[in-house]
Amino acid sequence: MTAATGTPDPDAGHPVTGLDEVVHQRARLGILTIAHEARRVEFGYLRTQLELTAGNLSKHLSVLEAAGLIEVEKGYEGRRGRTWITLTATGNTALTEEIVRLKQLVARVETTNGQ
Amino acid sequence: MTTDSISAGGDPRRLLSYVRSLAHRVRLDQRMTWVALLVLAAVTLVGIPFDWLGMTVHCHPDTSCEFARRGVLYYWPPALMLAYTAIAVSYVRAVRARGLGGRVLPYTIAGAATTVVFTAAWVAAALYFPSHPESMQRLSYWGLVLDRLVSPWSMIGIALLALARLERNIGLLLFTLVYLAAVLLVLPMNEGWGLAGWGLQARFAVPQVISGAVLLLGAVGFFRAARRLQR
Repeated sequence: MTAATGTPDPDAGHPVTGLDEVVHQRARLGILTIAHEARRVEFGYLRTQLELTAGNLSKHLSVLEAAGLIEVEKGYEGRRGRTWITLTATGNTALTEEIVRLKQLVARVETTNGQ
Repeated sequence: MTTDSISAGGDPRRLLSYVRSLAHRVRLDQRMTWVALLVLAAVTLVGIPFDWLGMTVHCHPDTSCEFARRGVLYYWPPALMLAYTAIAVSYVRAVRARGLGGRVLPYTIAGAATTVVFTAAWVAAALYFPSHPESMQRLSYWGLVLDRLVSPWSMIGIALLALARLERNIGLLLFTLVYLAAVLLVLPMNEGWGLAGWGLQARFAVPQVISGAVLLLGAVGFFRAARRLQR
């Protein structure tokens, strides 16, 4: 697993070669997408939307945090503990690049099918 | 942690569709459209007695009348500022309770900006027209539309366009366009409307009642739509 989230290499011909394993994973891509749209998202919302167990979600969050793609902030609201997740600038770039690559892949598949 | 990674040969189309559906879900959960419309409907309806009681009317023997809508000028600027603050606070609290961050600040800024524009235009008109009454009578159709555009009822609509953009809410965009068309082109917000024999205050109240009712109906409609989506 690579934690690097570099820019896509223009010389790498096929878009698959530029895919980042940290981001190119359904649950983690979901976390980044929700955090991007919401600006700030709570642990419970992610767990519900992504249909993950708390343990599984925590593992994915740790991977993304270690890669510097998200920031995790723990606090209390009244007596209730809440964990908020925010997308970092690096995470925003990584998500954008992943979506660009996915679109390139779709375009490539459609071009191949059309021939 | 790569056990359930999607392989490079996986279906990118399905993954893109998943991303889009998640983003759409978040946007739906961030919407509080009905709150904004309800607050604006309340402000519009509460403003009617202020306009009625604050209006000064001087009628001449030739049946022409001069009037000044001081109530609008004194009531609407603070009322709109309070309304946009209340909407922003409600949005942030509700969205936060759902576990999300909000994006209401640009709408609040748009609301504040339109309030400043309306206030400046009405203050300028209040200073200019009493010494140039003939200018008011010579206003063309588009002059009247422009006069309606800088009214608080239209400015509500202009700010709602910002909210529709922010929420990426096609329903709100269509509602706002219909509302703006009504207050700019159909309802005589700056001329009054009513039956013969009605006083000027009552004639000005009618378009405001309609404007408030449209906003209220919109609030009910968006509330019911939001409830249906949550089920």
